[in-house]
Amino acid sequence: MKSYKEQRRISLILRYTLLALLAIVWIFPIIWIILASFSYNDTGFVSTIWPEKFTLQNYIGIFTSKQFPFVHWMANTFFVAVISATLSTFVTICVAYVLSRLRFRLRKPFLQIALVLGMFPGFMSMIALYYILKSFNMLNLFGLILVYVGGAGLGFYVAKGFFDTIPRAIDEAAEMDGATKWQTFIHIGLPMSRPIIVYTALMAFIAPWIDFIFSGIILSSSGNSKNYTIAYGLYNMVHTTKGTSTLYFTQFIAGCVIIAIPITILFVIMQKFYVNGITAGADKG
Amino acid sequence: MFQRKKKLPQAATYKEVWQRGDTATKLSFLIMGLAQLKNKQWVKGFGFLITEVVFILWMAFSGVSTLSMLTNLGTIKHKKVVYDATQGVYLTKMPDNSVVILLFGVLAVILVIAMIGLYVANLKSVRNLYVLHRDGEHIPSNGEELKSLLDQRLHVTLLAIPIIGIVAFTILPTVYMISMAFTNYDAKHSIGFSWTGFKAFGNVLTGDLAGTFFPVLGWTLVWAVCATATTFFFGVLLAMLIESKGIKHKGFWRTIFVIVYAVPQFISLLMMAQFLDLQGPLNTLLLNWGWISHPINFISASANPLVARITVIVVNMWIGIPVSMLVSTAIIQNLPQDQIEAARMDGANAFQVFKSITFPQILFVMAPALIQQFIGNINNFNVIYLLTGGYPMNNNYNGAGDTDLLVTWLYNLVFGQTQRYNASAVLGILIFIISATVSLIAYRRTNAFKEG
Amino acid sequence: MKLWKKIALSSSSIIAVALLAACGNSSSSSDTKTDTEKVSGNVKLWVDTTQVSYYKKIAKNFNKKYPDVKVKVTQSPNGSANAKTDVAKDPAKAADVFEVPNDQLGAMANQGYINPLSPDATKAVKKNNAAVSAKGVEWKNKLYGYPFAEQAQTLYYNKSKLSAEDVKDWDTLTSKGVIATDFTVPYNFYPIFLSAGTYLYGKDGETLKGTNVNNQKGVNAMTWYAQQKHNKGVMQTSNALNQLKSGNATAILDGPWDTANIKKVLGKNFGVAPYPTITIGGKKAQMQAFLGIEAFAVNSHTDTKNQKAAATLAQFITNKQSQLIVYKNSGQIPVDKAAQKSSVVASDEAAQAVMTMAKPGNSTVMPKMSQMATFWNLATPLINGAYTGSIKASQYPAKLQTFYDGISKAN
Repeated sequence: MKSYKEQRRISLILRYTLLALLAIVWIFPIIWIILASFSYNDTGFVSTIWPEKFTLQNYIGIFTSKQFPFVHWMANTFFVAVISATLSTFVTICVAYVLSRLRFRLRKPFLQIALVLGMFPGFMSMIALYYILKSFNMLNLFGLILVYVGGAGLGFYVAKGFFDTIPRAIDEAAEMDGATKWQTFIHIGLPMSRPIIVYTALMAFIAPWIDFIFSGIILSSSGNSKNYTIAYGLYNMVHTTKGTSTLYFTQFIAGCVIIAIPITILFVIMQKFYVNGITAGADKG
Repeated sequence: MFQRKKKLPQAATYKEVWQRGDTATKLSFLIMGLAQLKNKQWVKGFGFLITEVVFILWMAFSGVSTLSMLTNLGTIKHKKVVYDATQGVYLTKMPDNSVVILLFGVLAVILVIAMIGLYVANLKSVRNLYVLHRDGEHIPSNGEELKSLLDQRLHVTLLAIPIIGIVAFTILPTVYMISMAFTNYDAKHSIGFSWTGFKAFGNVLTGDLAGTFFPVLGWTLVWAVCATATTFFFGVLLAMLIESKGIKHKGFWRTIFVIVYAVPQFISLLMMAQFLDLQGPLNTLLLNWGWISHPINFISASANPLVARITVIVVNMWIGIPVSMLVSTAIIQNLPQDQIEAARMDGANAFQVFKSITFPQILFVMAPALIQQFIGNINNFNVIYLLTGGYPMNNNYNGAGDTDLLVTWLYNLVFGQTQRYNASAVLGILIFIISATVSLIAYRRTNAFKEG
Repeated sequence: MKLWKKIALSSSSIIAVALLAACGNSSSSSDTKTDTEKVSGNVKLWVDTTQVSYYKKIAKNFNKKYPDVKVKVTQSPNGSANAKTDVAKDPAKAADVFEVPNDQLGAMANQGYINPLSPDATKAVKKNNAAVSAKGVEWKNKLYGYPFAEQAQTLYYNKSKLSAEDVKDWDTLTSKGVIATDFTVPYNFYPIFLSAGTYLYGKDGETLKGTNVNNQKGVNAMTWYAQQKHNKGVMQTSNALNQLKSGNATAILDGPWDTANIKKVLGKNFGVAPYPTITIGGKKAQMQAFLGIEAFAVNSHTDTKNQKAAATLAQFITNKQSQLIVYKNSGQIPVDKAAQKSSVVASDEAAQAVMTMAKPGNSTVMPKMSQMATFWNLATPLINGAYTGSIKASQYPAKLQTFYDGISKAN
C-alpha cells in the first residue's frame, strides 16, 4: 500500500492535469479568435487553426477604413458608456437603497411589480421604444442612453442584496443621533456601498459595448455609420454586406479583439465584486 | 402617489371632511391644491393646482381624441393609390397609423391613471389637513413639507426619477406590446390594424402556428433545464477542483475561465459558429488528428437536430460554467468548516462530504439565483441567435428551426420576412406566463419569497 | 419542357409589346413635357453599406442635371436584401428611394410601402431596359420599381482542374471535380423544381394556386436532391468560396456580387459559365436559376412635395450611365439594353454568363407574391430534408402537398 503522502501527490498531479486540460479546452477557441485576427483571409471564413499567412493588415484596415468608422464607433460607445454608467449607477443605487433600507407603504407592491415586469421578454418593448424615442426626436446616442438608464431602475436586485447585508442597527443609531434619512443615506449608506457602486458602474459601463440589438434598432435609421456604437457597427459589418463582406471579415475579427481586451480586463478586475453581489443577493432572496 | 402619514387620521371619513370642512377644503374636491394653498403649503398646493390645469388643458386639446381613437385604432384602414396629374406621379393615401395611435393611446391611459392617483393623493392630503385642524395640531409649514422629502419621505425623492424611467421605458412598452396581441397587426395590416380580441392567441395555440409553438415550447423548457443544471453542477465541481487543497495560483486558474465569459457574446458566439462549422477549424483539426473520418455536422443548417441541440448546450456550458464557478467559489470559501471536519472525523470520504454537505449547502444558497438563471435561459436569445440562428431547419415548423427557442422565434416573427407582430406579442405573453408560473412555484418551494 | 418555355417566351414578349403600345398611346400627350422641367425637393437614398461611395458620385451627376434636389445618400440599416423589414419598421423614417430585390416588391406594394411608377416612367423603363427586367418589377399591371441590375447565379470553376466542356453537364462536372454548394439555401436549389418542369405561382409568377409541385415532376426534383447527398463530387458547405480557395472544391455556384472575390481567389484559373444541364427524372434538362432584378423603389410615405424629386432621382440612378457606374464598381449586371451592349460588358465573360442565364429557359424571374416570405421559410427545410435524407422518399408526396398548402394560402 502506498503511503498517504504518495497518495496525496498522485491526487494532486491528477487534479492539476484535469485542471490544465479544462483550461486548455476553455481558452483554446479564444486563442483561435486572436490568431484569426492576424490571419490573411479574403473568403469570409477561417477554416484553419493556425493562419496560413500572418498579417497586421486587419488591424491597420479597421482603423483606417472609411466605410467602417471604427474610431467613431469607439468614441460613441465610450461616450454612451460613461454617461450611462454614471446615471444608471445613480438610479440603481437609489432604488436598491430605498427598497432595502426604507420602509413605506408601496414598497412591497413595487417589488412585486418589478419582479413581474422583469419576466416579460425585452424584445417585446423594442418597437414601442423606437416610436417613443422617435416622437421625442431622440433616435440617436442620447436616446440610447435614455433606454439604458430607463431600464436601470429594475436592475436593483444585486445591489439590494448587498444593502440587505448591512445591519439596520447602523442606520438606527444614526437616526438616534438626529440624522435625517438623507444624511444617513449620504454619510453612511453610500460610503459603505462602495464595492456595489463599483460593480454597478462597471456593469453599466460594459453594457453598451456588448449590446448589438437595441443599439441597432435605435441608431440604424440615421443611416450614418458614424453614429453607430461599436457592437452594432461590428455586427452590421458582417451582416449586411453581401459579397464584399468577405473582404472585411478578418477586419471584423480584429475589431472584435480590440474591444474584447478592455472589457475582459474590466471583468477580470471586478469578478470579486460580481461574486459578492450575487452571493449577497442570493442570501436574502 | 407615495403619501404616507406619520399620524394616521382618526377616523375622519371623506364624508365628514366634505360636510364639515371649510370652503377651501370643499373646493379641493374639485380644484386640487386649494386646501394646501390656504394652509400656506405653497409648493404642494401649486404643484397640485398646476398639474390639474395642465391635465385638463391636455385632455381638452388632445387627450380626449387620443383616447377615443384608441377604441378603433383609426378609421381609415385601407390605402388608396391615386395619380397626381400635376406632378406626374402616383401618390398613396395612407391608412391611419395604428401603431402611433395605439402607443399614444396607451400613454394617455397611463397619464389618466397617474392623474387619478394624484387626485387620491390630493384627497388624502386634504383629509390630513382637516384632521390636523380639527384636533388643533401643528400644521406642517411649506418648509417642513419640503424637508420631509429628505427625511420621512426620502423614498419619494429617490424613487421619482427611476419610476419615471420605468414607466416610460418598461411599463409603457410592455402594455403597448400586450395590447398588440389583441389586434390583427401583421404583414397584411402593417399600417392600419384593428382590435380582434383573442384571434391571435387562437392562431398560436390552435391555428397555423400551433404545430410550431408546442414543439418549440418543449425544447425551450428542455433547454432551460439542461442549460441551468449543467452550468450549475459543473460550475460547482470546477470551483471545488480549483479550491481543493494543494492547487496553487487559484486566481490565475479562475481568470482563465472567466476570460471566456468576459469576451462579449456577439464575438465569442459568432466565432464559435465558424469554429464548429462543417469545414471549420475544429473539424479540420479532428480530421488531421485522425480522431474522426468524416467531419461532424455540429450546428449548420443541415445538421442532425439532436446533435445541434447537444452542441448548443455544450457551448452554453463553455460560456456559463465560468460564472457559476465564480459564484460557487465564493460560497465554498464561506462554508462553515466545522460540519465538514466533523464528517471527516466520522470517516466520511470526499465524495460523501460533497454529496451530503457541500452540495446541498451550495444548492441552498444558490436556489434563488438558479431560478433567475432558469428564467434567463428561457429567454437566452444570444446563444441561439448568434450560434445557430435557430438552425437546423425543421420541415414541420413554421418559420422556426430545431434549436429555436420561443424568444428567438418571437424575434423572427417580428423582424423576419413574415412580419407577424401580433403573434409575436402573443408569444411574449405566453413566455411571461411560463416564466411567472415557474418562478412562483420555485420561490414558494424554496421559501425564498419572504421578502416579496 | 422546351415547348412551354417557348410559349412563355413568346407570350411574355407579346404582352410586353402590347403594353408598350398601350402605354405609348395613353401617355403620348404627356410626352410634350421636357425632361429638364424644374424639379426640387429633399430626397434620402438608401443603398448598401459598401455602395455608398459610388452612389454619392451618381448623386453628383444627378445634381448636375437637377441642381434643386438635395440628395442624401445613406446606408440602409440591414442592407437591400432586408428592405421590406427595414421599411416596415417605420415607413415614415425610411428613405424616400431605396434599393430592393424584386421578390419583395409585391408584398411592399400590397402593404402600401411603395408607389407605382408614373405612365411616363413606365414607358421609359420598358423602352430602355431588357424586357425581363421590366417584367420583374411589374405587379398587378403596374411597375413598382426602377430596375438597374439583374442577378442570376452562374457556375464559377477552376480552369486548371476543369475544362469548358466538363462544366456543361452536372454529371461530368461532379465526376471530374467537386462542386461546393449549400443545399440549405433555397435560392440555390429551389430552381431544380423549375428545371423539373413545375411552376412557382403559375407561368406568370402571380397565380396564388399556380404552384404545381405535388406530382411526379416534384418528386423527381426531390429525388435529385437525395441523389446529391451520395454524389462524391458534391460538397455541402456554408463557405463555398473558402473551399474553392483551399482547393477542396473546383467549382461553385455563385452570383455576380462575388465575381471580384472569385477572380482574386482563382487568379488566372478563373472560369465562369452558365449553369450546366442536369439529369432529372431520367432526362437531361437545363439547370435553372432564379433571376432576381435589383430595383429602386419610391417610398409612398414620402412627402407629396418630394414625390416628383424622388421619382426623378430613382429614374436617374437607374439610367444607362448610372448602371454602368454600378457595374464598374460592384460587378452588378446592367439591364439597360444599350449598357448590356456596351463594350465593357460585352467583353466580360462573367457578365455574359449572367446574361445567358437571364434568358428564358435558363432562369425564372423570382415571383413577387407576398407569400414569398413563407415560401423561403418552407422551401429551406423541404430541400434540405430531401438532401440529408430526413425526408424519406415515401414521404415526398405528403411533404410536397404540405409545402404547396403552406405557400398557397391567401394571407
